[in-house]
Amino acid sequence: MFPRSTVCRGAQSAVRRSAVHPAQRRGLAAPASGSFQYQSGDAKGVKFASRDFAGPTTTLALVSKAGTRYQPLPGLTEGLAAFAFRNTERRSTLRIVRESELLGAEVRAYHTRENLVLEAKFLRDDLPYYVELLGEVASQSKFDQYVYKEEVLPLIIAAHKRFLANPAEMAVNSAHSLAFHRGLGNPTASASSVPYTQYLNAEAIEYFSKIAYAKSNFAVVANGAEHGEFSQWVNQFFDGVPAAPIEQTGVGAEQTKYFGGEERIAHAGGNAVVLAFPGSSSFTGKSYKPEVAVLGSLLGGQSNVKWSPGFSILGNTKASPSTYVKTTSAIYSDAGLLYTSIVGSAQNVAKSAYAVVDAIKKVAAGEISKEQFAKAKAAAKFKELENGQDTKAGIELTGSGLVNNNQAYQIDEVAKAIDGVSEEAVKKAAASLLENKATVSSVGDLFVLPFADELGLKV
Amino acid sequence: MSAPSLAPFILKRPWLQKFVSPLAKWYVNAAGYRQLGLRADDLIPEENNTVQLALKRLPPKEAYDRVFRLRRAFQLSVAHQLLPKAEWTKPEEDTPYLTEAIQTVEAEMKEREDLEAMVITKRQRIAKVAH
Repeated sequence: MFPRSTVCRGAQSAVRRSAVHPAQRRGLAAPASGSFQYQSGDAKGVKFASRDFAGPTTTLALVSKAGTRYQPLPGLTEGLAAFAFRNTERRSTLRIVRESELLGAEVRAYHTRENLVLEAKFLRDDLPYYVELLGEVASQSKFDQYVYKEEVLPLIIAAHKRFLANPAEMAVNSAHSLAFHRGLGNPTASASSVPYTQYLNAEAIEYFSKIAYAKSNFAVVANGAEHGEFSQWVNQFFDGVPAAPIEQTGVGAEQTKYFGGEERIAHAGGNAVVLAFPGSSSFTGKSYKPEVAVLGSLLGGQSNVKWSPGFSILGNTKASPSTYVKTTSAIYSDAGLLYTSIVGSAQNVAKSAYAVVDAIKKVAAGEISKEQFAKAKAAAKFKELENGQDTKAGIELTGSGLVNNNQAYQIDEVAKAIDGVSEEAVKKAAASLLENKATVSSVGDLFVLPFADELGLKV
Repeated sequence: MSAPSLAPFILKRPWLQKFVSPLAKWYVNAAGYRQLGLRADDLIPEENNTVQLALKRLPPKEAYDRVFRLRRAFQLSVAHQLLPKAEWTKPEEDTPYLTEAIQTVEAEMKEREDLEAMVITKRQRIAKVAH
């Protein structure tokens, strides 16, 4: 199919192997062997985890501890994500893309606040090819200045423009930077042109890649791969990556602290308010509080059921049905943020913001029916378990758990933790939100949008 | 665009190189571009997409120097003059700074065309399983 020189050895030998033992091949109708549990392991210093979902496809990801939190200079994470799957020592960008097309696969790279994820989805049989590809991207990527100028920079500029045109995203980023200052507070896209005019170039990104793709800083996670086979390929294809980062920068390593505050940004393109409070870290982190997830789904704002406002408090008390209100419990490795984002027309956003504070007061005072609480618990548990089934969320959480705490994200246990949340704990959590410093950021028509003290929040 | 060249063939054979290099030195001198302060790569015709792309990929300093050399040479040519001998391009300065970039671009284009012309065959095993 491909010219001989570029056909990977691994893929060839895999084909040969399974041709010899056709009985080992998993077909479509093979029974589900696994649960949600990930099996984890270590191959020459590379951490990996996999679970054998029944099904003809596999999702494979390299999760690196190189999100915006850990970037030593602004924009490096974005640059590195855009440099993924480009020219390597062995293949060109075009060839990688074409080969993936031929195999019917999908590759992409994205980043979050804490992680940089290189992801590939493909047919089960192509596992060795993609393990090799990820190994190659991690160890043999070429960082040419002209590729940066021609292909990477336009992507970064586009992300910057998209960011500026989206008040909701601006508000969420502003809330994070108020809440956590540096580290987790770094914006996920360039908030100004400064990163790419002053800090970014191919060399800087290459330097960062030597940190991001060091064995101690990433984990490889597979969904729908047989563990033994997977460990064999990981063992084989990750020899080229450095064992330790080129330099211990220590950026983002310190324990995240919550600060809080208020920021108001004028914007003509829409209105958004984000009310944020200290939340829960991920299950693998230290400050895990399952009651925050329940409180989040109790406040809610979005309905799970069509043609109804849903059971959540904000779903019923928001200013109009067209106002977008959503409460998210954002969890990070060592901290979390519980935030409600409100997007809509200025008047409705302002009214809904008051409704959020009222709702929290109501929960703190215990004016919540048993039934509502039970529904919230069920919704939170469902979301958590769905996180497990939905490969995208699960893969990132698992990889990040492995890198940070040497522990895969075990969804069964998280669900159990949520089951154990009592009404009292949620009440206490809500009360503590009002006592502590809140984070309020408003983007849009500042004449109408309320200040934090008007809402009755301490900042 | 890189023209077909015997140079790699000759460079691989020291005895041949010893024989040809005086001739080459004479030829380069007779071509006269060094007397105008140019380098050999400045003479590559640039009116095509390949070279244009390669030129864009030059580091800023190289690109600036190239324009300077071209303009100086143009001026000299108009004035029917040569540079003072001390300013002639020295053999060690006459580096192929552009050829490499052109070869990269050409390789990219060739790869694209090869992939377009590719004939796809199903892997034997999958073909058997599927039908």
